[in-house]
Amino acid sequence: MIQLLVAVIRRLAWAAGLVVAVLAINFVLIHAAPGDPASVIAGEMGGGDTTVIESIKRAYGLDRPLHEQFVTYIGKSLRGDLGQSYTYSKPVSELILDRIGPTILLVLTALIFAIFAGTLLGVFASRKPRSLLSGAVTVLSLVGYAMPVFWTGILLVILFGKVWPIMPIAGMRDVRQFGVGGWSAVVDVLHHLVLPAITLTIIYLAQYSRLARASMLEVLGSDYIRTARAKGLSEWVVTFKHALRNALMPVVTIAGLQFGNLISGAVLVETVFSWPGLGTLALDAILGRDYPTLLGILTFSSLLVILANLLTDLSYRWIDPRLRGK
Amino acid sequence: MMQTQHPTVTPAAPPGVQVISPLREAWRVFRGNKAAMLGLVLLSCIMLLMVVGPGLYGVNAFDIAGAPFTEPFVQQQLWLGTDYLGRDILAGMLIGGRATVMVGLAAACITVSIGVTVGSLAGYFGGWVDTLLSRLTELFQVLPTLLFAMVLVTLFQPSLGVVVMAIGLVSWTGTARLARAEFMRLRHLEYVSAARAMGARHLRLMLREILPNALPPLIVSATLIIGVAILFEAGLSFLGLSDPNVMSWGYMIGANRRNILECWWAVSFPGAAIFLTVLSVSLVGDGLNDALNPKLHLR
Amino acid sequence: MANIDRRHVLKAGAAFSGATIFGIPFDVAAQAAKGGVLVIGSTQAPRHLNAAVQSGVATMMPAAQLFASPIRMDKNWKPQPYLAERWVLSPDNRSIQLVLRKDAVFHDGRPITAEDVKFSIETIRDNHPFKTMYGPVNAVTIDNPQTAVIRLAEPHPAVLLAMSTSLTPIIPKHIFGDGTDVKIHPRNSNPVGSGPFRLVEFKPGEHIVMERFDRFFLKDQPRLDRIIVRIFKDPGSLLLAFERGEVDVHQALTDPRELARVRKVPAAQVVKAAPAIGPVNWLAFNTKSPKLADKRVRQAINFAIDKQYLLKTLLGDMHSRATGPIASGSPYFSADVEKYELDLARANKLLDEAGVKPGGNGVRLTLDIDAIPGSADFKAMQEYLKQALTKIGVELNVRLSPDFPSWARRIASLQFDMTLDSVYNWGDPVIGVHRTWLSSNIKPGVIWSNTQSYSNPKVDEWLAAAGQEMNLTKRKDLYRQMQKAVVDDCPVAFLYEPAFYEAYQGKVANPPGGIWGLNDPVNESTVKA
Repeated sequence: MIQLLVAVIRRLAWAAGLVVAVLAINFVLIHAAPGDPASVIAGEMGGGDTTVIESIKRAYGLDRPLHEQFVTYIGKSLRGDLGQSYTYSKPVSELILDRIGPTILLVLTALIFAIFAGTLLGVFASRKPRSLLSGAVTVLSLVGYAMPVFWTGILLVILFGKVWPIMPIAGMRDVRQFGVGGWSAVVDVLHHLVLPAITLTIIYLAQYSRLARASMLEVLGSDYIRTARAKGLSEWVVTFKHALRNALMPVVTIAGLQFGNLISGAVLVETVFSWPGLGTLALDAILGRDYPTLLGILTFSSLLVILANLLTDLSYRWIDPRLRGK
Repeated sequence: MMQTQHPTVTPAAPPGVQVISPLREAWRVFRGNKAAMLGLVLLSCIMLLMVVGPGLYGVNAFDIAGAPFTEPFVQQQLWLGTDYLGRDILAGMLIGGRATVMVGLAAACITVSIGVTVGSLAGYFGGWVDTLLSRLTELFQVLPTLLFAMVLVTLFQPSLGVVVMAIGLVSWTGTARLARAEFMRLRHLEYVSAARAMGARHLRLMLREILPNALPPLIVSATLIIGVAILFEAGLSFLGLSDPNVMSWGYMIGANRRNILECWWAVSFPGAAIFLTVLSVSLVGDGLNDALNPKLHLR
Repeated sequence: MANIDRRHVLKAGAAFSGATIFGIPFDVAAQAAKGGVLVIGSTQAPRHLNAAVQSGVATMMPAAQLFASPIRMDKNWKPQPYLAERWVLSPDNRSIQLVLRKDAVFHDGRPITAEDVKFSIETIRDNHPFKTMYGPVNAVTIDNPQTAVIRLAEPHPAVLLAMSTSLTPIIPKHIFGDGTDVKIHPRNSNPVGSGPFRLVEFKPGEHIVMERFDRFFLKDQPRLDRIIVRIFKDPGSLLLAFERGEVDVHQALTDPRELARVRKVPAAQVVKAAPAIGPVNWLAFNTKSPKLADKRVRQAINFAIDKQYLLKTLLGDMHSRATGPIASGSPYFSADVEKYELDLARANKLLDEAGVKPGGNGVRLTLDIDAIPGSADFKAMQEYLKQALTKIGVELNVRLSPDFPSWARRIASLQFDMTLDSVYNWGDPVIGVHRTWLSSNIKPGVIWSNTQSYSNPKVDEWLAAAGQEMNLTKRKDLYRQMQKAVVDDCPVAFLYEPAFYEAYQGKVANPPGGIWGLNDPVNESTVKA
């Protein structure tokens, strides 16, 4: 028990160190880049003169030496204060909290659907390696993987924007429905979720069906399964109870990686569909040189990766009982 | 993945038996793979168009060739129509491939170079070298890929060079882990230990004994990385974050992003080109995978 | 009895549907619609809503609904009472006494007093990018809670216009006067306002929701129940939304195709709006660059640009020609300037005279050309200019900036030869015109200052005098001379005045039609069900 606790603490400490290191890299990068944030802010205000620029510098603490700024930043972040956005006069934490929901909704919907459907497809295809289904899975995975995600999205926008306007192609909610709550709101959001989720799902589905099939094929050929069959267990039990468990490992690994890389994965789709998530916020922050928001998103992203790694590890232990002892 | 070993020394064959080199064997398998051959043919066609197309067609993709928003298949001179500025889409398609594929190849080179270097050193030497390099790998792994590349490109001027470096910097960790696993496994083989015992130097061993055997999975991985890098560059261009003076397929999609409903051809055709290129690269990559790892004939 | 029951049921229903995931529960059914809900579609995303420290239409449009200004300008550019009941200009033109209404309150119920007016004007003077609006204000003194006296260092004819619409939003001192730098005040995105509408929700980059303030000082205004500004990432989706009826107003149509499509929408009303904004698009020269220091070179380039082609073909006949620094809608506009109509022969001759001869390959000069990003028109223009200027042996290198900060940095640090730009007059020349031509405003590092490094002492004199001249005739004459000189010196080539086209669905009654268009309080409009 103590050993487990120590291990967890060590992991957490290492993770914290990683986050700080990532922050440091980005902090240095951002300040090493040419250009002066105060002038950018003044330009966005509509112009200004040197006194305005100087007062902006003072207000944001940009006149302090770099290492002092960094330490202040770390200190404040630990208390949950990620600073104030240069572009909007809003706290960064508020901006991020506003946008997390939509991104997680989008990516999780696509991931969950793709993992379930993809794994099932992969499993069925693996049982009959030369069948039509297996061929279809091959084609699907190749095509789905090669299609640039934003191109898929654009095709859907053209289809449902011009040809067959039954789905909304932008945003997450109908503005006219502002303030209306309850079921109406849920339906509204789901209605808007369909196209972007489909776009992401296509990519994920391609990956997971292929992965699941390859993994199942490998496991189905192993001694362990031969033994199970020899014992007279039915195909269903062999497939789903025994083989699938082991075959899930690569799926879990990839899923964990993708969940960790949530924001990057969402940026392109969110941009195509104007989905109000962290992806579009990140793009706006980068283009607008809104460094506090950018740093906040990057920090959040690293935390997400670490969380995903943790969850992946836990899933391994759950899937493979042999690992539980460790 | 299960690997077969390809010893660098071909055992002496008994008289009367023809020895087929592993390379020829791989090619034979590849040739028999219909999908892989399709991919190869497709890829060759694309390369050909890329190389000679712009010269033959003779139209500058940046010039205003006609009225804006001309639809495709309607006018003689403007087969694929024009974009919102009146630029010839076909010209863009022909020349765009060069930048797209070049960036893909260059970025893949950088990725593989960094990845193999880091991974091989970690896997071969083990100990503190491994620890250090693995930590470094972990650090880069935590960085969000597309986001970080976007940041790099925006902060340091979106030229092609910066784009290539940015893609390379965020993509090498996968290759590093692969290389590390391979080098760790191969280091412990008998003939390698024997060579060490005979006093062979590290670098020589790594380059001449281990690397050739580690190549098959690395080659397959590199092929896949080319596809990933092409998609990556396309994504950055779509967001408007690539070199605005270079016509690439991604740039065409990005430049016309605001008019997709009125000018669907300006975004659909370049997208299709990217799709076909990445598809053919994937097919070839899969074919290589099957050819270089014959035990995986589980179709 | 029945009424009470119904209200009970509605309230209960609202409470039940109050379990929302997104959005605020709101009792929609209970409020009888007086004026309806107006949905405005825009591609301009404001940073925040406090127009006292931020310029630009993106902020001004919502700020005009949220805040009240001392006066409003009517269609004839005459000031009308708004927050101020009356105003008195002193005989020496150096002070204005503003008398405020007694019944005006902020959205939190606190009364609007002269202290708030003083605070607002001082805040604008010290922080707003348009330094010239309240630059001459020495102090604002308070006679009594309803009376503020603005004391000027010199006569300031622009001051009344500066007090209209969201150029001067009256902001609450008790919220913004807490010592925090107002430029970055956290309440900027969640302000307590003084205007006809109060803020319900502002999601940056997505939407702004405002609803009628029931205690507004005009009893039967505003008539709308709600205004929702929906922000679109690109003009294509905004246009589509307008065609589908998803938005009631299209804030800025920018090209002929959009205009044509909007006109096809049944009952759509298209308006050429907001003449007071006075945008002028031009090609600016960096006169500090040795290549462009000679005025003849600049004039030559100007003569080589076919303005008629630009207007008719490239811009589809949507906009009008700009011939000088002052927009044609302004009372101070003068047509007595060199028009620089296409004249290649003269252009070539000027270049020869300036000693810029063709080299071996026929090229006299190579120049970079930039453009403020985000405008498809400007991109097309860069390409056009590239082709057009080859006719006088000038080779252009088209430079594209990926985003506004990159472009702004390049221009502000004078690392450019020529750039296309769009600069607004903002009603009175003192506000938006002077900043470009005054040699005292040559400020490296600051965008939209005198980045052309233009310096003409006579122009400085005329501008200084015109800024203080209260007599209309004399003022017009000073500006006439200034325009003639600036156009002759050719620090920029004036190209066109982009018109602001607004489109309203047929069901919008009484669309705003004042000099500021949609950037004025939308008090009189309603939406028919």
